[in-house]
Amino acid sequence: MGERPCGPRGRSPARSPSGPAAQGRLLWAGLHPPLLWAAPRLPRATRAIRPPRPRPSAPPLPLPPPPPPEALIAAAAAMASRLLRVGAALRLLPAATARAAPARHFAAPGDLATDEEQATGLERKVMEAMNKGLDPYSMFRPKRYAGTKEDPNLVPSITDKRIVGCVCEEDNSCVIWFWLHKGEAQRCPSCGSHYKLIPHELPH
Amino acid sequence: MAHQAHSYHMVDPSPWPIFGAAAALLTTSGLIMWFHYSSTTLLTMGLLSMLLVMLQWWRDVIRESTFQGHHTPTVQKGLRYGMILFITSEAFFFLGFFWAFFHSSLAPTPELGGQWPPTGVKPLNPLEVPLLNTAILLASGVTVTWAHHSITEGNRKQAIHALTLTILLGFYFTALQAMEYHEASFSIADSVYGSTFFVATGFHGLHVIIGSSFLTVCLLRLIKFHFTPNHHFGFEAAAWYWHFVDIIWLFLYMSMYWWGS
Repeated sequence: MGERPCGPRGRSPARSPSGPAAQGRLLWAGLHPPLLWAAPRLPRATRAIRPPRPRPSAPPLPLPPPPPPEALIAAAAAMASRLLRVGAALRLLPAATARAAPARHFAAPGDLATDEEQATGLERKVMEAMNKGLDPYSMFRPKRYAGTKEDPNLVPSITDKRIVGCVCEEDNSCVIWFWLHKGEAQRCPSCGSHYKLIPHELPH
Repeated sequence: MAHQAHSYHMVDPSPWPIFGAAAALLTTSGLIMWFHYSSTTLLTMGLLSMLLVMLQWWRDVIRESTFQGHHTPTVQKGLRYGMILFITSEAFFFLGFFWAFFHSSLAPTPELGGQWPPTGVKPLNPLEVPLLNTAILLASGVTVTWAHHSITEGNRKQAIHALTLTILLGFYFTALQAMEYHEASFSIADSVYGSTFFVATGFHGLHVIIGSSFLTVCLLRLIKFHFTPNHHFGFEAAAWYWHFVDIIWLFLYMSMYWWGS
């Protein structure tokens, strides 16, 4: 199927950038438009749970004897993944129920302190939110919903409106932008998928 | 703390960028004064101000990250990209000097006697001190990896030992290289051989000194408990830089010391 053209000609005449959702648009069954904002990770049975990536943590007491440097060379391949480890961590938001909390312990005296003990400021807030499975700072991809009237895409906002960019079909390069207002769910003027604003508190 | 709904770091206003620019101006114009008019005043002022800016700017970064907690995973990711891009730019910097070397050595001109090394130039024996220097840098790559593993395991004592060893090996390399410079039978003025050799190995030596300084700062921070097993990007950046310096040396050794002799 060719890509939907952008611009006035390619848009639905029933587009309503503000106010209630447009009427009379057919919903494309089975399509899940990827979204461009962060949605809170609500616990849902249909949500795909990714297994939490095992995070490096200090060994339990007493510490095992230190490995010789030669043995560490063999483990260098594992360490190479640390190059963009933070990138990987940013892609995975551990499920609140499946959280093993490996960083939540206290180091032995004489060892390096853990983040649990020493992180402060915004880093600490982010860490605590991630530990609970929340994403108040919109660090991760938004959650995908069916986009139907019964299961609209939930859009958190700290004010009464937020801009939504709908990528109606996968790989579409034309993003449909519109303001989503508090109140009744609105529909994307192009694909008709439903969006609902969810007010949430400013993180701090 | 500012109210924000994102995890980025909006840095407070700081004088260091403009002072750094002023320092760069003083340094570059100082070099001109030194080269052409034999005056070192401006250059000294430039290098001194550059040093002060670096100390204070990076001190502020440590304050913002370790003590104020502004370096969230998002910020760290940006810093990682930044360091990788910087090291890439340094790789291109050295690429230029390797280009100059191969341009000159693959087709030696009649002025050189049509041969490489040029007539009359007695190159350093690659199997003597240069080989030792290669072993030293490779070993320092192992010790810095050992230090990294110790940090991720929370083992402070071993991390300190391994990082100290890395820095000592770096100093040993620098000392040996300085001795080699003193003892070499050719100088930078000895045709294009001297130019390519000393400019490339000289900039490499400068990078070893920079890398050793970076690692030394990391050692001081490690001793003061700044790093945690999950968050120690300053150390990772220093380790990447050190590995880069090691790789450049390997290319230098293979092309200039070994093939070029």
